[in-house]
Amino acid sequence: MNPSVSQPCPGGCATCSEYNGCVTCKPRFFFFLERIGIRQTGVCLTSCPSGYYGKRFPEPNACTKCKADCEACFNNNFCTKCKNGFYLHLGKCLENCPEWLEPNNYTMECNDIVH
Amino acid sequence: LAQKAIIRVIPFKLEPLMLEGVFASVADVTPAEGKLLQFHPLSLCNTSEDEHTIPGFVSIVKLERPERDLHPCLSLANKAKLAGERGARAVLFDITDDQGAADQLKKPRGLSHPVVLIWGHDAELLMGVVNNNREAHVKIEVKEMPAWPDYDVWI
Amino acid sequence: MLAAAAGPRMAKPSPWWLFLSFSATLKIVSMEQGAVPTCPPQCHCEEDGIMLSVDCSELALTSVPDSLSSFTAYLDLSMNNISELIPGDFHHLRFLEELRLSGNQLSKIPGEVFSGLYNLKILMLQNNQLSRIPAEALCDLPNLQSLRLDANLISVVPEKSFEGMPSLRHLWLDDNALTEIPVKALNNLPALQAMTLALNQIWHIPDYAFQNLTSLVVLHLHNNQIQSLGIQGFEGLHSLETLDLNYNELVEFPVAIRTLSQLQELGFHNNNVKAIPEKAFAGNPLLQIMTLTRAGIHLLPGEMCQQLPSLRVLELSHNQIEELPSFHRCQKLEEISLQHNRIHEIRADTFRQLTALRSIDLSWNFIQTIHPEAFVTLHSLIKLDLTDNQLVTLPLSGLSALTHLKLKGNPALSESFPKENFPKMRVLEVPYAYQCCAYGACGNFFKVSNQWDSEDMSPEDEDAHKRSSGLFPSHPDNHYDMDMEDFQLEMEDTKLHPNIQCTPSPGPFKPCDHLFE
Repeated sequence: MNPSVSQPCPGGCATCSEYNGCVTCKPRFFFFLERIGIRQTGVCLTSCPSGYYGKRFPEPNACTKCKADCEACFNNNFCTKCKNGFYLHLGKCLENCPEWLEPNNYTMECNDIVH
Repeated sequence: LAQKAIIRVIPFKLEPLMLEGVFASVADVTPAEGKLLQFHPLSLCNTSEDEHTIPGFVSIVKLERPERDLHPCLSLANKAKLAGERGARAVLFDITDDQGAADQLKKPRGLSHPVVLIWGHDAELLMGVVNNNREAHVKIEVKEMPAWPDYDVWI
Repeated sequence: MLAAAAGPRMAKPSPWWLFLSFSATLKIVSMEQGAVPTCPPQCHCEEDGIMLSVDCSELALTSVPDSLSSFTAYLDLSMNNISELIPGDFHHLRFLEELRLSGNQLSKIPGEVFSGLYNLKILMLQNNQLSRIPAEALCDLPNLQSLRLDANLISVVPEKSFEGMPSLRHLWLDDNALTEIPVKALNNLPALQAMTLALNQIWHIPDYAFQNLTSLVVLHLHNNQIQSLGIQGFEGLHSLETLDLNYNELVEFPVAIRTLSQLQELGFHNNNVKAIPEKAFAGNPLLQIMTLTRAGIHLLPGEMCQQLPSLRVLELSHNQIEELPSFHRCQKLEEISLQHNRIHEIRADTFRQLTALRSIDLSWNFIQTIHPEAFVTLHSLIKLDLTDNQLVTLPLSGLSALTHLKLKGNPALSESFPKENFPKMRVLEVPYAYQCCAYGACGNFFKVSNQWDSEDMSPEDEDAHKRSSGLFPSHPDNHYDMDMEDFQLEMEDTKLHPNIQCTPSPGPFKPCDHLFE
């Protein structure tokens, strides 16, 4: 803990400072840079925010961006939830479903056609 | 003698502050201005995500004590360069906790955006603006050197 | 063409049936506890119509709040001090879709604690102290899609662990203490699309380890201790597109990959296989990206490109390859990295007809001869790195489109490189300063325009940048070498021509005349 910091570091932080927030994380936590207005501070998380996924290797574990059309992902190539306006199919975000599949506008996924 | 810089900080709807710093010779000595944005020291690494902020801002980076960042991802010179590549018009380094930083930023590298070092009370005031305001504008000017060196002599 | 996965055919509830059951549940719930949803003390709640998002994270809670509204659809209890869950904690949360319990101290989870959560889609249990998968608690979650169990201490996976979740799509078991593939447990996941077992201590992949995972698209096995792999090890993975075997201890190339007909990306760096057998990729016509860095490879199969018509990126750096096959049939190849090998010759047919090839990295080899026609057909080539080889001459035909050419470290390469041959050149690194004179006035030795071109990354940064781009192996120690960087800063100070960066640039002690002529 930084002596100049009055309060202890937040949950997942190993070291922190007043202006930069978390500087290093405890093992198994993901480091993320959060911006609120002018300020950008480090935070240590067990799961990354929307639009990011956690990479556990190499150190330090960090939150890494998903693809632009993806709101939540397993890795850079596999989306688990697409942004508005896209249909999800096998980890990909599509503007339209392939013709052999049926768009479901409630779940925003491409489903098998039910005959 | 390092060239002094006047840093005019204009918080949104508040009185401006006039602070002082020093231009680092790693970059050109030139005025600059823009919206103030703080950057975490670890954000200026090749492995960290580029926020793709709209270019034209002035970065302020509060450096940690050296022993807290034993394996820096880039030298300060290259962090300053990366900041410019990511859209910064100028980079302010608060070196209050890392006085050795000035030496790292002495060697001329022809960076076209100015790099200004600030420390002590001026730095505290600047970081206070960062902490307590959602928005602020910054103007960096070159402080004119007096024609005669200012001897402390009364005639 | 997108592969139409033969996912499980579940009867879709008709919207009318959903409306009826929803309003029936609504009636019961609102009768039970009064119309207005309450927010537990200290927590932060947001209403979304009649549903409630409840955030009780980082409040030092030691137990689940008991005043949770039945209309809670999202509940975040992460980063607290909860060490025990009590059956009934969540039984009234019929609308709950996402439950976050990560970052607590759960070492076990009682059987019925999640019973009744028929709408639960996402369950996060990562960063706890679980030593085995709580199969009893997970036995009836029909709509669960994402289950996070990473960063626990799991070494035991009961056979019935996943029986109660037929809709599961995403499973995180990385960063645990598994020593083997939980084959039986994985037999009940027909809808699974993405799974990570990385960062465990798995040493072997038996035959038919994943045989029922017919919808699996992504499989991460990196950072284990896998030494051997059954020939039928990947049987059944008909939809697999990404396989990550990086950082293991394989001594033989996994021929088991031949059953992966949909494979597009294979990561295999940091293993120790010596050679890639003929027909290794016979079953992978869609393979686009292959990373075989530091894999101990001495020999490449002569016909490998016959089997890889879709290959775009081939990463073979840091191996012991002496002789290259012809990559002629890898028609879609865009990038090939062969740095840090033992190659001594580039023949006429090595890269012939690779019209999409943009970048070749052959640095740090022993190349003495390059056939005059080696680059003739490479119309898209813009980057060629031959740093640190044993070249005496460089054939220029075919290199006119280059923007980056690196030839440092070839002491016997003393010829000049006329500017007319490289109309698009931007970054040129040559063995001697005098070879840079063709790219700018030699008189102005010292101060040249300070225009800083964003292209201009010192090699140190470029390496760091390559390490971060995900295609190449990352080294844990990403510190840099202060002295090396100062040297590079020295080199970058002077630029001869505003848009061509030629180094080493001439100076008082690096004259424009070749002293030895």
